[in-house]
Amino acid sequence: MSVAVERPAVTTAPAIALSGVSKVHPGGVRALDDVSLTVDAGAFLAVMGPSGSGKSTLMHCAAGLDSPSTGSIRIDGQEIAGLDETRRTELRRRRIGFVFQAYNLVPSLSVADNITLPLRLAGQAPDQTWLAELVERVGLAGRLAHRPAELSGGQQQRAAVARALVARPAVVFADEPTGALDLRSAREVLALLRESVDELGQTVVLVTHYPAAAAHADRAVVMADGRVVDTLGSPTAADLAVRLVALGEG
Amino acid sequence: MLRLAWTMARSRFVALLAVACAVLGGAALVTGTGVLAESGLRSHVPPGRLAGADVVVAADQAHRVAEDLDEPLPERARIPADLGAELADLPGVTAAVGDVSFPAALVDADGRVVPTADPQGAGHGWSSTGLSSGGITGTAPTGDDEVAVGSAPAGTAPGDTVTVVAAGRSATYRVSAVVDAPGLFFADPTAAELAGRAGAAGAGTVDLIGLRTEPGAAGAVAAAARALLPADVTVATGDDRGDVAEPGAGAARPLLVALSGSLSGIVLLVVGFAVAGALGVSIAGQRQELALLRAVGATPRQIRRLAAGQALAVAAVAVPPGVALGFLLAGQLRRLLVEGGMLPAALPLTVSPLPGVAAVLLLGAVVWISARCAAWRTSRLPATEAVTESRTEPRAPSRLRTAIGGLLVVAATVLGGTPLVMRDDVGAGLVPLAGLTAATGFALAAPALLRWSGNAVARRLPTGISATSWLAVANLRGATLRMAGVVASLALVVVFALTYVLSTTTLLAAGSRDVQAGTLAQYRVTADALGGVPGDLRTDVQGLPGVQAAVPTAGTTVLWEYSELGDPAVEPSPALVLDPDAAGVLDLGVRSGDLADLTGDTVAVSADLVRSRHAGLGERVDLVLGDGTAVHPRVAAVYDRALGFGPVVLSGDLAAGHTSTGLADQLLVRTDGGTAAHDALAAVVADRPGLALADATPPGTTLADAPAQVWLNLVAITVLLGYLLLSTVNELVAVTAQRRGEIAVLRLTGTTPAQVRSMMRREAGVVTVAALVGGLLLSAVPLLSLGIGFLDRPWPAGPVWLAPAAAFVVAAIAFGTTELPTRRALRVEPASALS
Repeated sequence: MSVAVERPAVTTAPAIALSGVSKVHPGGVRALDDVSLTVDAGAFLAVMGPSGSGKSTLMHCAAGLDSPSTGSIRIDGQEIAGLDETRRTELRRRRIGFVFQAYNLVPSLSVADNITLPLRLAGQAPDQTWLAELVERVGLAGRLAHRPAELSGGQQQRAAVARALVARPAVVFADEPTGALDLRSAREVLALLRESVDELGQTVVLVTHYPAAAAHADRAVVMADGRVVDTLGSPTAADLAVRLVALGEG
Repeated sequence: MLRLAWTMARSRFVALLAVACAVLGGAALVTGTGVLAESGLRSHVPPGRLAGADVVVAADQAHRVAEDLDEPLPERARIPADLGAELADLPGVTAAVGDVSFPAALVDADGRVVPTADPQGAGHGWSSTGLSSGGITGTAPTGDDEVAVGSAPAGTAPGDTVTVVAAGRSATYRVSAVVDAPGLFFADPTAAELAGRAGAAGAGTVDLIGLRTEPGAAGAVAAAARALLPADVTVATGDDRGDVAEPGAGAARPLLVALSGSLSGIVLLVVGFAVAGALGVSIAGQRQELALLRAVGATPRQIRRLAAGQALAVAAVAVPPGVALGFLLAGQLRRLLVEGGMLPAALPLTVSPLPGVAAVLLLGAVVWISARCAAWRTSRLPATEAVTESRTEPRAPSRLRTAIGGLLVVAATVLGGTPLVMRDDVGAGLVPLAGLTAATGFALAAPALLRWSGNAVARRLPTGISATSWLAVANLRGATLRMAGVVASLALVVVFALTYVLSTTTLLAAGSRDVQAGTLAQYRVTADALGGVPGDLRTDVQGLPGVQAAVPTAGTTVLWEYSELGDPAVEPSPALVLDPDAAGVLDLGVRSGDLADLTGDTVAVSADLVRSRHAGLGERVDLVLGDGTAVHPRVAAVYDRALGFGPVVLSGDLAAGHTSTGLADQLLVRTDGGTAAHDALAAVVADRPGLALADATPPGTTLADAPAQVWLNLVAITVLLGYLLLSTVNELVAVTAQRRGEIAVLRLTGTTPAQVRSMMRREAGVVTVAALVGGLLLSAVPLLSLGIGFLDRPWPAGPVWLAPAAAFVVAAIAFGTTELPTRRALRVEPASALS
């Protein structure tokens, strides 16, 4: 049973606005080459591309995990490109959620503590009602006192999704969230992300190279060599697979 | 394989640095002690004044003990002079000379004593000049008023008149000759009388007999002499002659070998453990790479060889400077031993490349074995399991482990109470053992303790606590095994330092307290330059106004023979020699009997020995005096203050004739305290040459005045503590480095770098407090009983700065080993740290 939750107010600013973002690694490798991208609030975007296309780098820059060499990145209207790590981290706590391929839960904390960790670090007490609903949604109601090591891969990833959602961030980034999961757990996690967009008004950016996973999104961009080369609306898995194969041959 | 080993090793720099330090220190110590051992085997004291005698015969200055090292006898034992006549008849002998030694010193024109190397044995008979090869200017002394001078101020010529204090008696003599050998040579009958050989007790004895032989016949003569002489007389030729010149020299060389052997053994063991620990840390850090190698096709044996290769590469770099340092160290060690009286100053060091080679081989073997042991477990894991090995800890620590730990702590507490029962150096020596046992028990029980206290703290945490403190507590609770290891290591450092140092210093303080309380005399007169206090000084001092008592005392060594667990045992102990009226100047805390009964064949013993050695009042005990004579004296008194005055006191009658000099070491004087008495005493002392006046007890025995054996102990403690600190630091650095992934996860979840540092600092703070509290609690009972048992107060004696210094070191290690690796971990971008 889900409780009706207020959608976050629809703002005029897009959830994410990248403009002319480039990232050059020491040694001259161009990971990102003048990328511009806009994601509206409440959208579900998939970013795809072969390895080396820069999709993970794009996500890290957009999420404030890495700083770009040039360009502007705005999350919910706030510029993050020039901030130092402490400011970026503080922003990340409240405004950005992240789901990793390797779950990255803190092994010495319980599931409940893991989920509420971003809020605790920001000095905020979690809203117990919201927390209860979130736990219910991800299906971990009976496992709150356990440690991550005692959960299966799928359960750990669901806990990570809950952690990403707990602060009701402007954007949730998911970097290959299903890479280490079996088919059933993968479907559950992707369904959760879809649900968060549909029912909670969340904005989600999914980076993946599985066409089947990207098909859950409303819109997909395809990257190659550090640039966005294609955009598909309401993609199907077949379309995406064809596009990716074409990229490989081209 | 070696190149691969080197490449992989470069990334584990800190751990291998620890290995390098351990190996360097080990190489230095093994080389240094190796030089000492080689000297013990191959060095010889130069023959000195015996250079002219081809064969030297003397009494055996070692008391044979079954199944154990021989005990050295420090007082010169005498041999019958008739042996000289028998030996002179042997084929190849051209001359046989009997030699006696007695204290003698030359007084120059200003009334000052001319310093000599050995005032206690400077006087000899004229025939002893036959033992040296030096030149003689003049004629032999005749009568009891002539002397031939050996070590004289420049310008002394035959015909001069000199003052000589011989055997405590001062007289003027005419110089009949100047001899190119050390010593003062009197006419033979005069020398015999001065050396106490004229009376019934010493008649017809000499200290040693020197034989001159035909060229090349020395060996044959020595063999013939050995066949002729009884077993308790030694025959020495060639390089061995120097060992016979001094009673203590012969014992020094086996002592060097034994000491070096045991020290090297301990060092190798400690280095082995330190290296194995450091390599274990290094290999654990390379676990993924090693597992990948296994997955790619390396056999377990190749993995172990890789690990051994890394270790040997590091050792190869660290051993040469260590060996160089060791040769320098040998000189320092020798100096320490000479100052402690355990080594004659004349014994030179033999320096050869052999100890260096031995150090290289031994340390190489130790490092190789440690490396294989450290790599054993990782190499045995199946390839896939090695990669996916779980990083989480079991929920609850093993109950058996906790139970054993608790038992050890209880046992250590009981052991720590020994000083209450055994007020001697054995009791004090058990205290560090109790401390170490307690620390081991704590290490076993620590996970359970930490878990219990962590839960207790977590329940009481205020809800408004900051995120970093909360994280610190959560981390500690979530990783109790790892944290327990860290806390236990640091607690061990505290316990080790406190118990080892304070047991030594408390024993010293208790001894000096006994001496202070038991010395009623205010002054003491010594005559080291003369070889002993002159016999007539006592009557002179007693006649001074204000002097209440003047008693001479001497020190010697006796050997107790007793039965320990059915086996015969021999234990040397220092012994005072006192007169019956010693009670006037010394208060030994006599419990039963009376010091006035110390006449004839009697001794006084410490109250601690009454039961263990069956030495109650009136009973007879078996002792061996310093020159090897077995005696069975009766116990005339039992006293308390053994810590300050030694466990046994001999009566003057018993020791007479059985010491090298026959003179007292000091004269203790008790006055009424007035300045008149002091001035009169000072006047008498100034009047006679070679005397010195001092306070009977120095103000207080600080560590700086401690005997050299205590310093040797402290050196050993410092070395062990150094290795302990090295291992602990290395372990802690590795623990923090292993948490890189954890730190990266926290940063990805939203922890700022400042918060990460703050969290690590709080963890370090908790670890410091836990280690200090644990260490202090564990050492509390042993230290308390040290204080109560030895000093009748609830705290021991020792440097005040010890506990704060230990606390500072623990805090510095805990904070330093988290701060620096944390900063290094924070420099890497979190996302790449995890990929």
